[in-house]
Amino acid sequence: MVEYKEAALDDVFVALADPTRRAILARLAQADARVTDLAREFPISLNATSKHIRMLERAGLVQRTVLGREHLLTMEAAPLAEAAAWLAHYRQFWETSLASLDAFVTGRRAVARAKERK
Amino acid sequence: MKNATVPAPSLPAVLTVRRRIDAPADELFDAWLDPSALAQWMRPPGIERTEARLDAREGGAFEIVMHTADGPVHHSGVYRRIERPHRLVFTWVSPFTDAHETLVSVEFRADRGSTEVVVTHERLPAQWRADHEQGWAGALVQLEARATAR
Repeated sequence: MVEYKEAALDDVFVALADPTRRAILARLAQADARVTDLAREFPISLNATSKHIRMLERAGLVQRTVLGREHLLTMEAAPLAEAAAWLAHYRQFWETSLASLDAFVTGRRAVARAKERK
Repeated sequence: MKNATVPAPSLPAVLTVRRRIDAPADELFDAWLDPSALAQWMRPPGIERTEARLDAREGGAFEIVMHTADGPVHHSGVYRRIERPHRLVFTWVSPFTDAHETLVSVEFRADRGSTEVVVTHERLPAQWRADHEQGWAGALVQLEARATAR
């Protein structure tokens, strides 16, 4: 299960790495849309739009509901919460680490300067 | 509007943390590759003691064990780029990455006696892990692209 979840999280980060896919997600966060709506709203072909949507679907960020001939797209926020938790954990880890590196190196320099003065 | 509470579409794909430190770049750079120095400063809240073992050359491995009240937390990785005192790139595996390899690059930008230290941490897409050689080329091309885009 962990293996599967982690692979999914990697897909989330890959999906988020592209500005067009981020823009599509931002659009779907406002309201559900059809594939054809998105192709019209974004300056890319229907084919390119479909490819981006497939990557978002693979990451679990977008759900597709087929209603007759219409494909309705809905944003799914849950995988983003997981990605946000990963980012938050490491943001805190590196921020405290750099603060600690600062204290360690500048502290050592202060001691060295004090010794020189003696 | 069930998703309105998650500011999700603005989530970055890459994590960047920076800090300006009042010390020269070479001293800061060396603090990452000297095991006794690293063990002293890489001790986040809740960590009682850190042990570090490392082989400070490109392709060399490191192991950092952070001891908590609940037991040891193991971190490991391999140095990919060691460019003293400008840039350090290494892989990073920990329980928080669920044993998946992630990539950390640290840049040291000297500026009139002080140094801006920039840590960039990213997850490696699955296809990069599948083929290591090609994967690293891809990762570094991306790093270069990002560096030159600034």
